[in-house]
Amino acid sequence: MLQFDILIVGAGGAGLYAALETSRRKGLSVAVLSKVYPTRSHTGAAQGGINAALGNVAPDSPEKHAYDTVKGSDFLADQDAVELMCEMAPKIIREMEHMGLPFSRLRDGRIAQRPFGGASFPRTCYAADKTGHVMLQTLYEQCLKNGVRFLNEWFLLSIVHNGERVSGVVAMDLRSGEIHGIRAKAVILATGGHARVYWNRTSNALGNTGDGTAAVLRAGLPLKDMEFVQFHPTGLRRTGILVTEGARGEGGYLINSKGERFMKRYAPEKMELAPRDMVSRAIETEILEGRGFKDDEGNEFVYLDLRHLGRKKILERLPQIRELAIDFEGVDPIEEPIPVRPTAHYSMGGIDADKLGRTPIKGLYAAGECACISVHGANRLGGNSLLDIVVFGKLSGEDAVNYVSETGFAPFDESEIKREEERIDSLFSSDGKEKLADLRSELSDVMSYGAGIFREEKRMKEALEKVREIKERAKHLKVYDGERTFNTNLQQTLEFLNLVDIAETIVLPAIERKESRGAHYRTDYPKRDDENFLKHSIVERGEDGELRLSWKPVVITKYQPEERKY
Amino acid sequence: MEKREVLFRIKRFNPKKDEKPYYREYRLTVPKGMTVLEALQQIKDTQDPTLAFRAFCRSAICGSCAVKVNGFPKLACKTQVFNELDKFGTDTLTLEPLDNMEVIRDLIVDWDRPLKRMEEMKPYLVPDPEVVPRTLDEESRVYPNELKKFDSFTDCILCTSCFSSCTATQLDENYGGPFQLARVYRFAVDPRDALKAERSKIGYAFDMWNCVRCNRCADVCPKHVSPVDGIMKLRGLSIEVGLKDNPGARHVMAFYKSLLESGMLNEVLLPLRTKGIKGVLENLPVGIKMILKGKAHSPVMKPIAEHETLIKVMKAAMEVE
Repeated sequence: MLQFDILIVGAGGAGLYAALETSRRKGLSVAVLSKVYPTRSHTGAAQGGINAALGNVAPDSPEKHAYDTVKGSDFLADQDAVELMCEMAPKIIREMEHMGLPFSRLRDGRIAQRPFGGASFPRTCYAADKTGHVMLQTLYEQCLKNGVRFLNEWFLLSIVHNGERVSGVVAMDLRSGEIHGIRAKAVILATGGHARVYWNRTSNALGNTGDGTAAVLRAGLPLKDMEFVQFHPTGLRRTGILVTEGARGEGGYLINSKGERFMKRYAPEKMELAPRDMVSRAIETEILEGRGFKDDEGNEFVYLDLRHLGRKKILERLPQIRELAIDFEGVDPIEEPIPVRPTAHYSMGGIDADKLGRTPIKGLYAAGECACISVHGANRLGGNSLLDIVVFGKLSGEDAVNYVSETGFAPFDESEIKREEERIDSLFSSDGKEKLADLRSELSDVMSYGAGIFREEKRMKEALEKVREIKERAKHLKVYDGERTFNTNLQQTLEFLNLVDIAETIVLPAIERKESRGAHYRTDYPKRDDENFLKHSIVERGEDGELRLSWKPVVITKYQPEERKY
Repeated sequence: MEKREVLFRIKRFNPKKDEKPYYREYRLTVPKGMTVLEALQQIKDTQDPTLAFRAFCRSAICGSCAVKVNGFPKLACKTQVFNELDKFGTDTLTLEPLDNMEVIRDLIVDWDRPLKRMEEMKPYLVPDPEVVPRTLDEESRVYPNELKKFDSFTDCILCTSCFSSCTATQLDENYGGPFQLARVYRFAVDPRDALKAERSKIGYAFDMWNCVRCNRCADVCPKHVSPVDGIMKLRGLSIEVGLKDNPGARHVMAFYKSLLESGMLNEVLLPLRTKGIKGVLENLPVGIKMILKGKAHSPVMKPIAEHETLIKVMKAAMEVE
């Protein structure tokens, strides 16, 4: 059986930072397992930037960054974790800068910073509109430098633990199709988000299917704040592909069919740079009230207008956005406004972890978007996700190094391997009454209807019923491809089954959270209710397969909840 | 909305099972705007679940889905079916795996060889203690004009399109490869790097002089990177650090000298200056034919009109670089 001191699952920003941290300690055996080659990871799709109170453009401080983050979270973030992240931000930015990350620069050679939504100052460090891409490349380069071992194109199937300590994972080598148990003293999950639940309209990569999150759920461990899913205000009309908040940070306008900058009615002060949950609701309201546009395919949208920024600025700061708009919408933003609409984007909820990434199982960590620490609470601010992944990737790597140096391997129950083999075998022999593409699309429609930008009790309850029905019907999915080598039919089926597991954990707490907070907006309870709901939701799956909901207090240090106005 | 009936010819191969690759045909009704990747997924969803291809971000940043579309490497996710049909004046698209790499299955190729190659070429910053601060209390200063020198090369998404169409890669086992050499250059001109121009020695060791400047790497790059530009500049750096005594450097210097002397390329002296007597002997049969056909010029050439101006232009160009 393969065996490592530390196994990192996922090779995006969090996974690679954890790997770098562990590679500094000589003599440890560490591997990074990923279902894609490292630089394919979705960190690379992050465009606009990463927040840190460097104060290079305007005076700033980690305290102000923390306050903005807590306020942006609608006071659901754990403030000790937020303070830690914001305090570490300037140093970790410089650390990556010292690794060669090609940040855009000010004339005096220092790192440039741009304004972003919900931030009081220009605080977002960036590399044009490809910040995540260059960050991922830089971290990968450093991992090569440090000789990190990669298991590329391996797919996580399950997490093995004995109720107290982690023993390792079961995973499939996609190239050979073989299923392996991998023993490890510590496992760091850095498997990314799950917004692919909203399959038909999301900014996420095809593989952001919450594989780690679903495995944690199946392993009987808690997920936190799953009802909170961020819809990014500006996805491209047809595809939902991301148009960075940096486009508005650089001065872009949102325009309705009356030609108005409608944000003046929703956030008169911050306008287009209000937090994402507010801007997304504003766009949807404009469309609902008949002030949107409609194309002949029936797509509804508003315009993101960058024309007044001028050719030079667009080419220099937003070159990739221009390409995407040309390639995917046939629109050159220098000449025409870009048609946009909100798109499912970010999972605030995830694996319940503390501020060192620790889960209730010793040796099992979670970092990055798959984790809920929580630093984003009910709504994440733009530029804080890249920061979250590197800070908590680093911290969980550090803590794992300390943990494994004092501990041995836990016994590995090999029947877990057999169980996964059987689960997969059954997919080949099912009756095939249901089709993957149809179910995937149905799940997406149900989730958008019941757990989208606007929510209410009746629709959510219908959605829960429907998700449970889809879960039953999914038992009839069949894998038709009988080959072992790179069986993408099998992989896509397994990914969908993960999405179905996750969908239920989003809707259940959403029904019970009878208030509006951040991205969770209920038309039947439009006000925030701190008295009853200033708390994290926890979902676990019991032995009987039923979900159980409980609550956990929010950590408040110095920022008392107040009304959120922008 | 406009729709077209399209025939997709897709190259299939499972080395574990098939003796040799074969083509399978799929017919699909394609609406305007549909990408090659969406078409592939639709074929997989509705006609043939066994079709194997890679895809991830579907927004042209992860580099997973590069395949050959009618012979040219493309990111399937950002390539619209109609555009390709119109370009080729056809209703058929042939989809094949990238070249220069082994096929794992259907459109999926083995990236390990090109990535391993890059790994051997120090593709990471080695910080210069003179520039990169020792503590995390400060950042290094990089001025916008310095960033400009290497910024475009950081756009590379490792999709291996350039590698797949590189002619030098086909012929020379030891050749570094376009995206790999371009990354060597990217660090060679990063002011934070300790190795700086010395990195060109890595390029030299990996046969950068074997690039034939066919420009295919730049033509096919979906991110508009021009690896060949990086390779040419890396060659220049190698001459600066003293790697002059080799055919490649001598060839370039011979061009340069010719231009300084006359403003014209002296093709008679070129083989001698590049490869010495051996070069002359090698080129003798061609040379004799040229003389017989009256195509050869005298080894002594008269400077062109306005030679002085040309020299000024050359000097100015050197300063800019």
